[in-house]
Amino acid sequence: MAVPSLSKAERAYIQASLQASPPLRADGRSLLDFRTVLLETGVAPLANGSAKLNIGKAPQEGGGGTEVIAATKLEVEDVETGDGVDGGRLVCTVTCSPSAYPHLSTNALDELQYDLTILLHQTLSHPTLHPNNLGILPHKKSWLLSLDLVILADAGNVVDALFMAARAALWDTKVPRTRPLQYQSRKAGDALKNADAMEVEGLPEITSAFDTRDMARAAADFELPDYWDEGEVLEGRDRWPVCVTLNLLPPSHFLDATLLEEASTPIRLLLAYSFPHKSQPNLQAMRFIGSGEVVLTQLKALNADGEKYARSLFDSLETKLRDEDIRRNVKARDKFAVR
Amino acid sequence: MISFASFPVPSQNETQGMTRHHPDVEDDIDMDEGFEEGFHRLTSPGEPLTSSQAFMRGHGTYIDNDEVISSVAGTVERVNKLISVRAVRSRYNPEVGDLVVGRITEVQPRRWKVDANSRQDAVLMLSSVNLPGGVQRRKLESDELQMRTFFEEGDLLVAEVQAFFADGAMSLHTRSLRYGKLRNGQLVTVPPALIRRLKSHFLSLPCGVDLILGLNGYIWASKHVKQSEQEGEEAFDAEAVYSNKNDDIDDATRLAISRVSNIIRILAAHFIPLTDTLLLDAYEWAVEQEGDVKDLLQADIGDAMIATIAARD
Repeated sequence: MAVPSLSKAERAYIQASLQASPPLRADGRSLLDFRTVLLETGVAPLANGSAKLNIGKAPQEGGGGTEVIAATKLEVEDVETGDGVDGGRLVCTVTCSPSAYPHLSTNALDELQYDLTILLHQTLSHPTLHPNNLGILPHKKSWLLSLDLVILADAGNVVDALFMAARAALWDTKVPRTRPLQYQSRKAGDALKNADAMEVEGLPEITSAFDTRDMARAAADFELPDYWDEGEVLEGRDRWPVCVTLNLLPPSHFLDATLLEEASTPIRLLLAYSFPHKSQPNLQAMRFIGSGEVVLTQLKALNADGEKYARSLFDSLETKLRDEDIRRNVKARDKFAVR
Repeated sequence: MISFASFPVPSQNETQGMTRHHPDVEDDIDMDEGFEEGFHRLTSPGEPLTSSQAFMRGHGTYIDNDEVISSVAGTVERVNKLISVRAVRSRYNPEVGDLVVGRITEVQPRRWKVDANSRQDAVLMLSSVNLPGGVQRRKLESDELQMRTFFEEGDLLVAEVQAFFADGAMSLHTRSLRYGKLRNGQLVTVPPALIRRLKSHFLSLPCGVDLILGLNGYIWASKHVKQSEQEGEEAFDAEAVYSNKNDDIDDATRLAISRVSNIIRILAAHFIPLTDTLLLDAYEWAVEQEGDVKDLLQADIGDAMIATIAARD
C-alpha cells in the first residue's frame, strides 16, 4: 500500500464516480475489468514449481502494479517420527516485503503476513484439494509441499494475485519420481531375495560382526531414479482454486480494486472457487474484509456473480498456464533442435 | 474482462553487451575527465568517473581503487573539485519557493507532518496556515485544540516550501488563497524529475480540468473552478477552504479528469517531462481517437500517442 490514507474528499470522489451511471473508475476501466495480468511460470530454477505474477504493471516502466512471486519446494518427511502426515501435506507461507508496505510497522507487517498466510493455508490445504501423489512410502515417508509467496509490491487486489500466483506455482510443480527400496534381512544360507520393486545395494557377502543394524526389521527407504524430466505434475492440479474479490459498494460491486479504491470501499467479499473437471464448482473459501454490512439476502446473488467472475478468471488463467507449459517445453525443445 | 500477458522480454539485439551512449554524449566519452562546470554527462552505476587523487567524491559516488565511481544512474555534476551524480530517479529535492502537493500523515502539537515525496516528511506549522477570521488574527490556544478541523490525517493540500530546518526537512506554508486543502479530483503520481519549473503550476485545461503540478511529482487533477468562484476571493471563508465535501461534478468532467490522469501516466511511463502544451496535444489526440478512456493504458495506443505528439513538437 503506497498510500497509507485517503482524504475524505478523495474517498467521496471515488465513491461518487463508482456509483455514477455509467460508473467510471480512476483509470477508465468498467466495474468488472481487470488490469492486465502478467504471468510467467518457472522463474525460480531451484524450486519445484514457481510463478511470477503482476497485476497492472505500467507498460514501458520498470515498476508499478501488484507483484507476487510464488514458489514450491518439496521436502521428505518422516511419518513415523511424527513430523509428517501420511499422504503428505501442504504448508503455505506468505511474506510481505517491507518495501511493498513502507508505512507499516514491523508488527503490523507481521500481522498482515499472518492473516494472509492463514487465509491461503486454510484454503489450499483443505482435504478436498489434497493431491494424491504426495505420499512416498505408506506410513513411513511423505512429501512436505511448502508453498512460499512473497509480495514484492502492492497496488491493490493482493489476495486475488496471491491465489493466482499460488495456482500457477502449484500447476508448475513437479513431484520427483520415487522408487521404494527394501533392505532384506539375510537369513543363514539364503540368497538375496528381491521383493517386487526392491533393490539391494552394496550388501556385503559376509555380514560384518560389527554391523549392529537390526537386520530383522525390513527397513524401507526410497531412491530417486534418474529421469529426463523433473517428475510428474501434482495430481489434481486443475482443482486449485482461484479467488475473486468483490468490492462491495451498494448497490453495485467491482473487481480488481486499486489501493485507492480499496481504501474507499467499506466492505470486500473474498470468494475462492475451484472448478474440478466434470463436476459442480466448489466454493472453497469465503471471507469478509472491512467494517461495512451486508444483508444475508444479498449474499446469494453475490455468490452467483462471484462464481461467474471466478469461472472466467479460471478459464483465462488455465489458458495462460497451458500456453506457458507449451512455451517452456515444446518451444524450448524446438529452439534447442534448431541449434 | 481479464486478460493475461507475459512479462516483457529484454530485447536481444546485436548491441547487447556493448555500452551504448546517447549520440550527444558519444563524442564526449573519449574525452577523459571532461568535467567542465555546467556540463552534464550521463553515467550509470559502477562507471568510473575520475581519479580520487584529484577529485573529491560527493553524493551518488563512492571510491574504489583510487577511482571515484558512480553509484546511481544520472548526470555527473562538478563543483570545483567535488564530483557528484544527480540520480535520474530519486526522491524530491526541495527548494525554497517550490510548489508542492502533499498529504497529511500526522497531527502533532502546533504542526502537521506532511508526506511530500521527499526524504523526510515536511512540516506545516499551525502558524503558517490561514486561520478562520482573517490573516491578522492572533493564534489562539483553541486553534491548537481543533487542528483536525483544518487538516486531518490523509488530507491533501497544496503548499509552498517556505524554509528548511537544520536537519534538511522542509517547512511549508499555505498563506495564500491559492493554497490549501484539495478536493473535487484525484491524485496522479509521477517521478519528480518530470515536473519542470514553470511560470505557473496551476494549469487550467480547456476540457474543464484544473491541474496542479506539484514539483514533488504529485499532480492534482480536479474539476475547473472559475476564477471568480474561487474560495475566499473577497473574504476568507474557512468553511469553504477547509471543507471535505466535493462539489457536484458531472460525468463529462469526471471522464475528462480520468482521461487527463491516464495521459499523465502514459507520459510518465515514457519519461517525458510534462508541459501544458504537451498535455493539450495529447488530450486532443485522445479525444480524436474516440476510444474509451481505458484504451489509453494499452501499450500500443500509448506508444501511438507518444509518437504523434512527439512529431508535433
